[in-house]
Amino acid sequence: MNEIIEQYFDFSQMSKHFDEVLDGFVITLELALVATVLALIWGLVLALLRQLPGKGFLPLRFLTIGYIDIFRGVPLLILILLISGSLAFLPLPEAITIPQWLGKPDNFWYGIMALVLVYGAYYAEVYRAGIEAVPSGQMEAARSLGMSHGQAMRNVVVPQAVRKVIAPMLNEFTALLKDTTLVSVIALNEVALVGRDIQSKTFNSSALTLGAILFLVIVLPLARLVDRLIARERARTSRGGAPPVMHH
Amino acid sequence: MADPMLKLAGVHKRFGELEVLRGIDLEIAKGEVVCILGPSGSGKSTLLRCINLLEPPEEGQILLEGRDICRGPKSGTGEESWELNYVRQRVGLVFQQFNLFPHRTALQNVTMAPEKVLDRAKAEAQAKGTELLTRVGLADKLNEYPERLSGGQQQRVAIARALAMEPHVMLFDEVTSALDPELVKEVLDTIRELAREGMTMVVVTHELGFARDVADCVVFMDEGQIVEQGTPSQVLDDPREERTKKFLGLVLER
Repeated sequence: MNEIIEQYFDFSQMSKHFDEVLDGFVITLELALVATVLALIWGLVLALLRQLPGKGFLPLRFLTIGYIDIFRGVPLLILILLISGSLAFLPLPEAITIPQWLGKPDNFWYGIMALVLVYGAYYAEVYRAGIEAVPSGQMEAARSLGMSHGQAMRNVVVPQAVRKVIAPMLNEFTALLKDTTLVSVIALNEVALVGRDIQSKTFNSSALTLGAILFLVIVLPLARLVDRLIARERARTSRGGAPPVMHH
Repeated sequence: MADPMLKLAGVHKRFGELEVLRGIDLEIAKGEVVCILGPSGSGKSTLLRCINLLEPPEEGQILLEGRDICRGPKSGTGEESWELNYVRQRVGLVFQQFNLFPHRTALQNVTMAPEKVLDRAKAEAQAKGTELLTRVGLADKLNEYPERLSGGQQQRVAIARALAMEPHVMLFDEVTSALDPELVKEVLDTIRELAREGMTMVVVTHELGFARDVADCVVFMDEGQIVEQGTPSQVLDDPREERTKKFLGLVLER
């Protein structure tokens, strides 16, 4: 029992390395927030492309569905390796192949790219569930008032859909936040890599445990918030709306 | 003689194998009020949805103020071939389920389309919206959200919302069927008032009393066809067709 406490919960180790671990966690949060914002935008674009009406847009809808299926199916870790290992050799502008935007190193942006490609596909599915939960009468009413499909989406359907998917979106954020640790494989000093380095120097895992605790500090309050949002949505739908959507 | 406001000739609508409208011919003059009666599934609602191209017909002609809206300049396949803008800025539709926008107040429901579609200035749209909501008796509900309004109030907001686009024809699709009985009258009175002001209207309804009072012409539909049409007293008091008699008998028994 003592060995367990010593290996994982050695407070002297934790306090000694606290600043390093916290610095790593800040990078983790930066990854997660930047990726989430971009994935929310990309996911909405994908969801809207998927909802375009008429035969003319059939190829575009088909491509979009293909994209979503593929990037939900590809392991994030492999995608990170594919991007970081070969993007630099592609005949594209260096600003893209070796990105250094906002003073962040290229491996930070490789991680962002992989996360956005994958989570954009996840978010697209969440948006779709939200859009489909808006009763069809809403689109019909908007169209019968002369709005175009795009105007009806923008002013009527999407605002209602977004409200319905806030809870599942927060769940996705939790998953994304944890998945940022995979970027450690390309030598980005986020919390998992920092913890691992300390572990290999000290033969003690307490710094990694500290990293895990920092995740819980963010994730647990979010979980309670999601519960409350779902309860609120349920109360609202019992007065006659569509049910809230849940996702994997 | 001037063109009729609406003229339908040989209109067919199919959903896959199911032929919902089987050759509809109908003429509606400017200022005329036409009430459409018929059992459920007879195609009444589909007919209205054809007229504003929510469900474009496969066959036949619909002339709106003399212009064939089924074969627009971009005739071909897909949504583009229908004259959507021409139609939807002339034809207002009110739904059985109101379909108000729940995330917007009563006034915002009314002003949204004028602002977005007609590019009206916000102040102008609001002034007009306030006037319309006052006209339907909701001057004190401008800033309420739909969920705080009764069914009758919601339906009156929906009528005001359609009127805000200054339609030349109003279509009403069983607008009182989802309402509690005590709320039906306030909505019918609103429609009655519109009739008095000379609005051209097509009203799908089960309210025989209303049809008798307000309609210039009553149409009885069954199985996707017009069985009988005429003045209210002809169709309601002295129907020629067996199917009409049977239907009226069933409605009056309620």
